[in-house]
Amino acid sequence: MHVLVVEDDALLAEGLVSALTRAGHAVEQTASGRHADALLRDGEFDLVVLDVGLPDIDGFEVLRRLRQRPSPTSVLVLTARDAVEDRVHGLDLGADDYLTKPFSVSEFEARVRALLRRAMPPATRWSVAGMTVDVAARRLRIGDRPVDLTPREWALLELFLSRPGRVLSKDQIAESLFAFDEQLSPNAIEVHVSRLRTKIEAAGEHIRTVRGFGYLWDGGDE
Amino acid sequence: MSEEDGQRSSIRRRLLAFLISSLLLVVSAAAVVTYWAAIKSANDAYDRSLLDPVFDIADNVSVDAGGAHVDLPQKALEALVFDQVDRVIFQVRSASGAIVNGVDDLPPATGIAMGQPVFFDATYRGEKIRVAALQARNGFVVQVGETLHKRNRLIGEMLLAELVPTLLIALGSIAFAWLGVTHGLRPLEQVRAELLRRTSRDLRPIPDSLAPVEIAPVVTAFNQLLDHLRDATTMQQRFLANAAHQLRTPLAGLQLHLELLLRREVPAEMRAELERMHGATVRASRLANQLLALAKAESSPKETGAFQRVDLKAVAGAAAHDWAAKAMAGDIDLGFSLEPAVIRGDPLLLPELLDNLIDNALRYTPAGGMVTVTTGCEGEVAYLAVEDTGPGIPAAERSKVVERFYRIAGTSAEGSGLGLAIVQEVVDGHGGTLEIGERDGQGGARIRVLFPRVAGSEAPEA
Repeated sequence: MHVLVVEDDALLAEGLVSALTRAGHAVEQTASGRHADALLRDGEFDLVVLDVGLPDIDGFEVLRRLRQRPSPTSVLVLTARDAVEDRVHGLDLGADDYLTKPFSVSEFEARVRALLRRAMPPATRWSVAGMTVDVAARRLRIGDRPVDLTPREWALLELFLSRPGRVLSKDQIAESLFAFDEQLSPNAIEVHVSRLRTKIEAAGEHIRTVRGFGYLWDGGDE
Repeated sequence: MSEEDGQRSSIRRRLLAFLISSLLLVVSAAAVVTYWAAIKSANDAYDRSLLDPVFDIADNVSVDAGGAHVDLPQKALEALVFDQVDRVIFQVRSASGAIVNGVDDLPPATGIAMGQPVFFDATYRGEKIRVAALQARNGFVVQVGETLHKRNRLIGEMLLAELVPTLLIALGSIAFAWLGVTHGLRPLEQVRAELLRRTSRDLRPIPDSLAPVEIAPVVTAFNQLLDHLRDATTMQQRFLANAAHQLRTPLAGLQLHLELLLRREVPAEMRAELERMHGATVRASRLANQLLALAKAESSPKETGAFQRVDLKAVAGAAAHDWAAKAMAGDIDLGFSLEPAVIRGDPLLLPELLDNLIDNALRYTPAGGMVTVTTGCEGEVAYLAVEDTGPGIPAAERSKVVERFYRIAGTSAEGSGLGLAIVQEVVDGHGGTLEIGERDGQGGARIRVLFPRVAGSEAPEA
């Protein structure tokens, strides 16, 4: 994958480039907002890791210009922790995700993976945590054993897989999965999650409960 | 007035002392003058009436070769001087000094002139009397004396008649002086109340409209001082915020590099060193974040107008996203029990507050323990609580843990000692209350923050 890192702090930029290179991506880096804008105009990037505070034009402006063009590039914004408004502003401008400084390298890698996976065409086969998932064919295998899922369990699994390492509240699950259906009670969601969990248990416990709140798919890509 | 005014000068006291004493002086002087004038006219009137029997007797004295003698019968003579209240005595003396009629022990008048009546005070048989004397043309002297009972009674009545209105005037003057001073000082009271209401966070100028002309310069000077203070505080906060902010990018770089290094094959002792460096870097980042949070919490959110409707349930929900993975990594069961709790608050600082509470709880709770975040309403109060199964905070330490950089002696967990100071600062800025206690009977800490609830919190904004 082709990734652009826009970060003016040399140490941080080097670290990001190094982490991305190790993950097998082709990485370009710049410290300038204008330069980033030019690179994004000319090149095809799958992902841009964009710092907000840049010396010439800020990250938001780069993002705004990028989103004015038809471009499939995913954007991961790096923000300061104290600036909630930055996150909101970034997402409003069309950022796909944000990460607050400082962050651990595994956190960064997980976000990058999720974004790049989202950017991929949906009909791919995923191999995650001892499972092979073929979304298009709706086929799930654990090891060599095929596992049958109901449509709701499929929807749940896809939702979890699209948000590795992120907490999904029961409200979020109800909203994003069953919006077309009649309202599902939190109890019903618990039942579906527990069934899915039992079916994929053989691949290791991956759906974890956040007591009283929701669930977390703990990445599982390692 | 408060007791601490003690011996210090008080405008009210000085005004009242001056006004009341001068008013009393004027009133009493007026009373004395009126009183003496009344006594004098009463005395004159009585003196004139005392003269009547003198003339009557003198008209009835005739002088012949045998000397002077009174022509009236003794009874008629006595009737002339009869009085129901006072004892009246008379004396008629010839020019030679011999007693012609009446009592013989009435003191003689001195410096008497022919045809000119005189009055004098004297003592008669131990009683004070007033005497009128007249020397007729043929040389004899008629004197009539009278005890003072009638006069004294009149003087008493006049004194009383004088005293009551005087007292009323005096009391009225004091009351009006008091009211006037109080009324006059009211603008001062307002300025005082305004100043007393201020906290160290509220450095807005005192409204000019409160200050009367006399102390306007004082208020202006004070406002200038507040201005300087505000500027200095803002500058200090901005500096702290900038410094902390600037620190974070290099720290993020450092952390990233150390983590990448730790993934490589490194000798065991170097790994241990790298891990310690990594731990220190993470702590430094956290400290930078906390300093930034503290600087933000200090710059009064009320003043910056950053207050909005905030649902603590949503704040806790966002925290669930941020903390769940971290809690699981430490094998701690982080749970939530969330009911709507809408307050007016700063949407940036409230998450900061909760972050610090959760961070502390996770830090001090051993693996296998539980941390639970609760939000909801009780009556007029919205609360946010974090409880854990850690060692708890000893009662004796509870007031100290909110001090900056204070850490309970002997605690093993890595901490900056700023977490609860930030919580306290944010709570103060929101007019809330911080309760540090323990989980019901099971050990472990329970920290609750209480805020005034916004009406209609049952239906949070969509």
